[in-house]
Amino acid sequence: MTTEPPSEAPLEEAPASTTTAISHPDIYVALTHDLLNAQEIMDKVRSPEAGAIVLFAGTTRNNFAGKPVKELHYTSYLPLAISTLEKIAFAQKEKHSLNKIAIIHRLGVVPIGEESILIAVSSPHRKAAWEAGEETLEECKAKVEVWKREEFGGDEGGVWRANRDGQAGVRIS
Amino acid sequence: MTTPKPPPGHFNILYFASAGSYTAKNVEALPAPLPLSELFGQLEERYKGIRQNVLDHSLVTINLAYVDVDGDEEGDETKKVVIQEGDEVAIIPPVSSG
Repeated sequence: MTTEPPSEAPLEEAPASTTTAISHPDIYVALTHDLLNAQEIMDKVRSPEAGAIVLFAGTTRNNFAGKPVKELHYTSYLPLAISTLEKIAFAQKEKHSLNKIAIIHRLGVVPIGEESILIAVSSPHRKAAWEAGEETLEECKAKVEVWKREEFGGDEGGVWRANRDGQAGVRIS
Repeated sequence: MTTPKPPPGHFNILYFASAGSYTAKNVEALPAPLPLSELFGQLEERYKGIRQNVLDHSLVTINLAYVDVDGDEEGDETKKVVIQEGDEVAIIPPVSSG
């Protein structure tokens, strides 16, 4: 297992252009301040044993229930979030007998329309890959210690969103 | 940003997302040792309303492991968790990745 760079920052606001990753032979998970690259994540799960790769890209939406959103800001508890991602990846690989799995989540400001999460899974047959892709995303949304703040722009400030109930959290100004 | 080591006799508490907005801090050092069952009460004293607005919906970790705050209030006396000097405690509001 390698961690690069050494995760010295438990809080977010790490310098831009940093990626914290854990990789095992068939598993790759990461949190990054960089733009996400779908091709790179797909290549991480490429395998001669695989008959299917499913790639999911979550993108940032310009509204919440009709209310315009200017941009999103993601923050994380880095050492805990990376370890939760790793657990989810191991469990999903095992459960769906995947060849490989890769998950990467972006942190910091993510402009509207860009990818905030990429999940790639490979398996011998497509059904398992479809199912694992879906379940991995649901697991991430339920468990990974990453938080999304929706910025409305102007005097409106923003709110922390909660996946669990779709409710806005504490209003910040 | 690197979290500073807490001063002697203290532990660090990290405030994420809504907890950080409510306290206007990412981290602070509080006196240790502190029984876990007294943590929320102490935070409520410092930040009036935080219990209802943030803590009641949040989870708590100590040194990256989740702990049961509610169960600890009425649990077996000998098994009660006490936050120790140098520990890293975190308030984990409902997550929203993806």
